Amino acid sequence: MLRKLMKHEFRATARIMGPLFLIVLVLALAANLALRFLMESDTFLPNLLGGLLMAAFVIGMVALAIMSIVLMVNRFRTNLMGDEGYVTFTLPVSSHQIVWSKIIVSTVWFIATGVVEAIALLVCFFNLDVMRDIFSSEFFRQAFHALHELIKEYGLNVPAIAIELIVLCLLSCAVLCLEFYAAMAVGHSFANHKGALSVLFFFVFQFAIQFISGLFFNADEFEHMFNAGMNGMQAFHQMMAIFIGMELVIGAVYYVITTFTLKKRLNLQ
Amino acid sequence: MAILECNELVKAYGHTPALDHLNLLIEPGHIVGLLGPNGSGKTTLIKLANGLLTPTSGQMLVNGMVPGKDTHAIVSYLPERTCIPLWMSTRKLLDFYQDFYADFRRDRAEEMLQHLSIRMDQTIRQMSKGTREKVQLIMVMSRAAKLYLLDEPIGGVDPATRDYILNTIINNYDPEAAVIISTHLIADVEQVLDEIIFINQGQIILQSSVDQIREEKGMSVDALFREVFKC
Amino acid sequence: MKWQFSSDAPIYSQLIEQVKVGIVSGVFPPGERLPSVRDLALEAGVNPNTMQRALTELERDGLVYSQRTAGRFVTEDKDMIESAKQNLAGYQIRNFLTAMVRLGYEKEEIMALVRQENVGEELRNGDS
Repeated sequence: MLRKLMKHEFRATARIMGPLFLIVLVLALAANLALRFLMESDTFLPNLLGGLLMAAFVIGMVALAIMSIVLMVNRFRTNLMGDEGYVTFTLPVSSHQIVWSKIIVSTVWFIATGVVEAIALLVCFFNLDVMRDIFSSEFFRQAFHALHELIKEYGLNVPAIAIELIVLCLLSCAVLCLEFYAAMAVGHSFANHKGALSVLFFFVFQFAIQFISGLFFNADEFEHMFNAGMNGMQAFHQMMAIFIGMELVIGAVYYVITTFTLKKRLNLQ
Repeated sequence: MAILECNELVKAYGHTPALDHLNLLIEPGHIVGLLGPNGSGKTTLIKLANGLLTPTSGQMLVNGMVPGKDTHAIVSYLPERTCIPLWMSTRKLLDFYQDFYADFRRDRAEEMLQHLSIRMDQTIRQMSKGTREKVQLIMVMSRAAKLYLLDEPIGGVDPATRDYILNTIINNYDPEAAVIISTHLIADVEQVLDEIIFINQGQIILQSSVDQIREEKGMSVDALFREVFKC
Repeated sequence: MKWQFSSDAPIYSQLIEQVKVGIVSGVFPPGERLPSVRDLALEAGVNPNTMQRALTELERDGLVYSQRTAGRFVTEDKDMIESAKQNLAGYQIRNFLTAMVRLGYEKEEIMALVRQENVGEELRNGDS
């Protein structure tokens, strides 16, 4: 059933994200052409047009990133907390499956958004002298060199770091979803002011997490986790492990809040 | 075994009880009218049977189970408002029901939609309010469920639509199943009911067969209702 | 045929009566198959269980009989239909007389009024 939930969740979201992806990629192409031909020209009109196209591209990029979050929030709000909730919550599925399907699909869209934005940037700057200038500049060469030295000196394991960063990134996306979900689930369990309370609870959760993690990082126990004998790479792994662990704990707390509220305090109107 | 069973069921919103130690047994094979004035607890009872609310105390059992994903598979629910996703086309809606409900009879749904000349690529958003209600009813009645819970299916519709809705219910429900129709428009549904339940202030005050009432009291259920709930 | 229900009698007994009317008036001819319970219930706009109950009752009276696979049929016994017709007529007449007596008419006056009215012809003309 989780697969079917995800299938229909993708159907519901792809109709918005798909066209957006397409628009951003087209804008990237337009921006590339603008940089190549229009901006180089000395006349006013092409210059203006080029500037507008570039602006449109930047706005498109920002809008896409925002939309992926707005869509995640909105799907939860309409499909679960709104009228559609009557249909969703009477499907022969558990509320765990419902929440998981939403987290997974949103996270996939976050990643897809990241990938599309990266591709869009590449398209925008593809084969441009500007880029060639940057990559061949003295600064860039030195930075690259320094990075190389760093890797050698500390014995950095690049693939391991990459994997850890990717895991952390995925996890943060999922936890971000859960933070919104928990806030909305709790906010909507009240009889009135559901929207305002959802926002309030979001900030309450945010504050609580900041506060608790602040305490944690200042605690002696945190420092004891690192001993002097560790080399750079070990310390890095340790740090990443702590971050990932924290995300897992925070995510689990939000998950429990969300599913418990949906089960026991559901209050559709 | 009873398809729906409530034992000392209480549901309170804050301090006000919507259902007050309610006891009820409904057997399969009947069309039951859940009748009561506004605010008597009809919708609360139906929401509890759908697991959309949890009891404050007492027990709600559907086919012997606490409402959850297993009971959702055998209960077909028509909420008091149209709740089907507006962005979906008719075809996507059919896919949706077919994917989730093993008892969904797609051919029957398609036949009924065709009868109303509803196109497959038409989205719910493009339909009139009345058509949306009919489409949702078609989805609900196209399932071969064990229990149909219909919350105010004829509230605020014209007489022709009312006939269409009642005919759709009679024509499609599984004879082994129980149908519970909540309404306060009694005269309109009286003929299609086997049994009636009067609910008031969160309690069942009468459960009887329609013909028994007519035989014993010499009056229609509608007349009895007016007498019992006289203001 | 037209189905109408009053609000004071049980629905199943009204169904019995109206199916009887259908049989004696030839809407359901002798020996013909009756529509299925569900179709009849749909037509009358009533609960199928109630229609089932009414038909079972008619079966017990002998006006209809069922064959396991083929469904329900109207009896071929014309005498039985005729006597059902007379029963219905008697019932209508008694109702009529009761109402007239309540209005204060004597039997002879009623007869005279009926002859004068020529109701039968009017109805026949109105129907065609």
